[in-house]
Amino acid sequence: MNIFFDQTINGLVIGNIYALMAVGLALIFGTANLINFAHGSVYMAGAYVGWTCVTYFGFPLFLTFLVVMLFCALLGMLIERVGLRPLQNSARIAPLLATIGISFILDQLAQIIFSPQPLALPPLISTKRFSLGATSIGVLDILIASVSLISGALLYVFLRYTRMGWAIRATAQDRDAAQQMGVDVNRVNQVTFAIASALGGLSGMLVAMYFNVLTPTMGFQAGLKGFAAGLIGGLGNVPGAIIGSLLLGLIESYGVALLGSSYRNLFAFVILLVVLVLKPNGIFSKGRQLPPEPMTGTFIASSKPVQIPRSVLIGVSVLAFLLPIISNNYWLSVFTTALLYGILALSLTLVAGTAGLMSIGHAGLLAIGGYTSALLSLRLGLPFALALLLAACVTAILGMLLVMPAFRLRGHYVSIATIGIGEIVSLTILNWESLTGGPVGLMNIPPPSLFGFEFYSNRSLYWLSLVLLLGLALLQWQLVRSHIGRTLRAIREDEVAAQAYGINLNRYKGIAFAASGFIAGIAGVILTHSYTYINNETFNNTISVLALTMVILGGRGNIIGSILGAGLLIVIPELLRDVLGESFIVYRMLLYGLLLVLFVRWRPQGLLGTV
Amino acid sequence: MKLHRASRSVGVVALLALLIIMLSSCGSNSAQSSNEPIVIGVSGPLTGTNAQYGEQWKKGFDLALDEINSKGINGRKLEYIFEDTQADPKQAVVVANKFVANEKIIVELGDFASPASMAASPIYQRAGLVQFGFTNSHPDFTKGGDYMWSNSLTQDDSAPLHADYVHALGLKKIGVFRLNTDWGKTTYDLFAQRAQELGIEISAVEAYLPEEKDFRSAITNIKNSNPDGIVFISYYGDGALLAQQIRAQDIHLPIVANGSNYSPKFIELGGDAVEGVYLSSNFAPTDPRPEVQEYLKKFREKYNEESDYFAAHAYDTMILIAAAIEKGGATREGVKKGLETVKDVPSVVYGKVTFNTETRRVQEPVDVRLVIHNGNFEVWDGSLPASSASN
Amino acid sequence: MSLLEVKNLTRSFGGLTAVNDVSFSLEEGELISVIGPNGAGKTTLFNLITRFDQVDSGQIIFNGEDITNLGPELLVGRGMARTFQHGRVFGNLSVLDNVLVGAHSRLSAVRPRIPFPLLGALGETLLALLRPKRVQEEEEALRAEAFEILALFNDRLIPRADQPTYSLSYANRRRTEIARALASRPKLLLLDEPTAGMNPTETAEMLELIRLLKNQGITILLIEHKLSLVMQLSDRVIVMDEGHVIAHGLPEDVRHDPRVIEAYLGHSSQTSRPESELEEDLQVRV
Repeated sequence: MNIFFDQTINGLVIGNIYALMAVGLALIFGTANLINFAHGSVYMAGAYVGWTCVTYFGFPLFLTFLVVMLFCALLGMLIERVGLRPLQNSARIAPLLATIGISFILDQLAQIIFSPQPLALPPLISTKRFSLGATSIGVLDILIASVSLISGALLYVFLRYTRMGWAIRATAQDRDAAQQMGVDVNRVNQVTFAIASALGGLSGMLVAMYFNVLTPTMGFQAGLKGFAAGLIGGLGNVPGAIIGSLLLGLIESYGVALLGSSYRNLFAFVILLVVLVLKPNGIFSKGRQLPPEPMTGTFIASSKPVQIPRSVLIGVSVLAFLLPIISNNYWLSVFTTALLYGILALSLTLVAGTAGLMSIGHAGLLAIGGYTSALLSLRLGLPFALALLLAACVTAILGMLLVMPAFRLRGHYVSIATIGIGEIVSLTILNWESLTGGPVGLMNIPPPSLFGFEFYSNRSLYWLSLVLLLGLALLQWQLVRSHIGRTLRAIREDEVAAQAYGINLNRYKGIAFAASGFIAGIAGVILTHSYTYINNETFNNTISVLALTMVILGGRGNIIGSILGAGLLIVIPELLRDVLGESFIVYRMLLYGLLLVLFVRWRPQGLLGTV
Repeated sequence: MKLHRASRSVGVVALLALLIIMLSSCGSNSAQSSNEPIVIGVSGPLTGTNAQYGEQWKKGFDLALDEINSKGINGRKLEYIFEDTQADPKQAVVVANKFVANEKIIVELGDFASPASMAASPIYQRAGLVQFGFTNSHPDFTKGGDYMWSNSLTQDDSAPLHADYVHALGLKKIGVFRLNTDWGKTTYDLFAQRAQELGIEISAVEAYLPEEKDFRSAITNIKNSNPDGIVFISYYGDGALLAQQIRAQDIHLPIVANGSNYSPKFIELGGDAVEGVYLSSNFAPTDPRPEVQEYLKKFREKYNEESDYFAAHAYDTMILIAAAIEKGGATREGVKKGLETVKDVPSVVYGKVTFNTETRRVQEPVDVRLVIHNGNFEVWDGSLPASSASN
Repeated sequence: MSLLEVKNLTRSFGGLTAVNDVSFSLEEGELISVIGPNGAGKTTLFNLITRFDQVDSGQIIFNGEDITNLGPELLVGRGMARTFQHGRVFGNLSVLDNVLVGAHSRLSAVRPRIPFPLLGALGETLLALLRPKRVQEEEEALRAEAFEILALFNDRLIPRADQPTYSLSYANRRRTEIARALASRPKLLLLDEPTAGMNPTETAEMLELIRLLKNQGITILLIEHKLSLVMQLSDRVIVMDEGHVIAHGLPEDVRHDPRVIEAYLGHSSQTSRPESELEEDLQVRV
């Protein structure tokens, strides 16, 4: 049998598994217009509930599925109640932050209850397999395929022919109009979350059966694949999600056949990006169509940004300069990290806040900056200052060019495309061994130095970071108050209206990403040189999510807010270390998630408000 | 009004944070008295994706401490402070500074992954605090400075032994799955070099990412290269998944896995699929040496489960560090001196440990050839796999 | 020469032909109103002219240049500005910033004319950061001019110049939108229902403003439902129904055209506006 046939079967089988995840995500995205980061955690929860049913209570499979779906439906309703409903009238991004927090809480709870060790499931159904060419499919494969097809079909019927389905579709089209027509939008969202989460939980259980393994962190990667699949099929499109998932499975499978496993995700994400460029709204989108004009009353009620008097800012800066005199080395290094992540947050708030392009791939920019200057220092022996400057410029250019395909995209498509771009950067680094050393990485990177002075001690590194942060913040402030800032904010508020006033969208998005890349590149360089070692995992995608969290927490586009957000998110986990003590350290991330959810409830527009 | 409240609360939060920081920065490190415990800092993952390994470490450490503290080191107890870093470089750096600033800490263990450990190395090196990266197999980890030590398996030794086992099994042409991390790559390179010397052909290599769960397509690639055996350079979680998916594809070629697959979880997760898998291990439960049997018994008594490689390694490390402290004295310099001079410390993993003071690595680990039989790890009896015999 | 010439414009969505073979021309200084029941294709016509929607067939000539295939962002620099049916102000920007965005295409000191887009963008960024005197002066001049434009709306907008527009009343947002359009110094202004949702006093004010703009020589294409306003302001009126132009001529003639009355009354059941209101509109004496 030929390889093509085998790999096609392989691709369809794994695509099947992605489909289970993608359907739920599509449903929630369609109605609530929300990227639900907690969905992966619901999926994980489903697996653990199923495991408990099977191993503790010895439930039969069918009953287990029922319990899993019921539990996850309730969990979904709870997420909607806590994470979405109270934030309905705040910026669209606030619920996203809430779902990030909730996913932290759920993952951590699972780890505390079930231990971080992977768990195994006893075989629950027949392991009979049917060979197909060189490969084979099992009963479970067929069960998974039927579940995704049947749930897809049931959903289709439900959405098309029932009153609730009608309400869901109406809400998906135009929430405000639906509300005016008497649709109880809250109830619609609740039902949507219940259905999607029940499906998510079921898919978690099925996948756990498939791989015979459960881990508390199994949701994140699965969610990523679910998003990618959904994007191919068109976000919020249920049949599209299924077909997109199968396509993603096929793409990965052919990628492995052509290039080998280590290129699997790289190949998939590159194809994803190509699809986005050719078909910005997914392969099933109709031709270019004008988005409907926003109705009056859809303006997001935002708050005025908190004005901080200049004297306070100067005072705090002076205090910051004096801090090393009183602080010990530990806290100094915490603050140095906070300052450097402040630079990252600054960079991200320019694109995600000021220009409204939610990038979730910013760790890629750190990596580009870090690798560039490390290579320039190690291979060409350039002095640090020169390597820093060149690396920042390279990051600016590469950052802009890489994101360029995403410029045509709107809203959440940008977020998911940038996740893909971040992955592409990290996987390219992993596979380009001759340049980057691959997974072995680069070591003996010289510490930052200027004119022969090495920033080796904690104090000097702190001061260097502080000077850079303040300098870059001032530069960004100058940029944002110029016509460029005004233009970027106009693009964020309304691309169509901005275009009507002669704004070339690509040009200004390009400027935003280049400036952002320049700034992030500097953060990457300093971090890398202070670590003296870098490999493909040094700046991973959790850093991208962290950076976005900092930006939303501080208030989008708010320069001081982003620095404050970075400070809090670096300092709080460290404070929790001491507050909790060693025996409670496992609760650290749980509390962190809880704090995130509370913060976003308290100040959905960010601590210092959107600018 | 609202605005005012918000800004005030922000201020309150900031003030509070500052206050706590000041307080903690004032925390004095009083001089150690002679019966105060000796403190070790551990930097590793207790939350996040690698939390499972941190948990195994703790089990190994605690067991070792029970033993050490029943006698004490010159009348003092040994204890450790475990700081969670999630194996994340930025937290490892911060924790390194925390440990360095705490004068009670005389040696540091960890971190789990190389990016985190190596980012923290400069801080330990500068402070003259030994960083004992006991799971850091990165070939250059101990080159970070003379305070970087490791008893991690140097792949220089164990990877070729793995290849020797493949050779002994009579396999001529193999497909390899390897984890695409610094560890996986280094191990594979050393393995491949030895395999070549032995005349073993590697027909295909599939390098997979740590979070990968589905290997169907990669298995098809390996299968199509027509090997007569399959080699895993993996951790037990991935290894079990691989074995399952390989067997599900009706491929019954012999599988030869490396030592990090040694874990009861490998059998638990792999089920029937891992039956008959060969393991080139550094640690054998059937090893008749009293240290090993004693350790396994105590582990079972304390935790009611079987020890895996990571726990055994953590246990070993704590025993070794205690020996070094005893020998060199309970100071930072003393630990280094102790490590340089200890000889033949009994070890579960290695038999006996002596350091090469040049490389700061352990010399000559033992190699045990295991096979999984009836859901247990057993010592290989020398019989060749059926399929390779028929070839 | 006409300022705007629309020739045989057609655009369909699936089975529905929203704009069907529409032709007309607009002379300099003229004000033409486009009226018709909801769904007649008026806004689609606007979107086609302002290049937000792709033309299926036909041609648009503006100021002697064929603009049928230009991108929407290229028109404002050529002297065409528009407002949107439901008002699309930049909600989180202040009124003043909204108006300044309107003047974007007129920035010259800070936007060097460099043929390579990459270098041009770099130059623009550097100028924005360094802010040499020329750039500062340009910004100051535009700011002063923005206040002049705001002053056209009496004291409706000036006191709120620094407030974000989401905090404004609906009518004030519509005013801001027109102020933004004026900041681009348009030759041709396309207004899409500028008085929607306004009370009679506000409508009267808007009428005065449009009259003023017309007297200043700005050519205007207006979509409007309030026929009294249309009758008072228009030089000519185009009536659309189901994508077609069903009548075209002087306001007085159009008003009595039986086809127009038929179109309005015949469709009244499908429109969201009550019949009585339409009647009232049609009966109104100028």
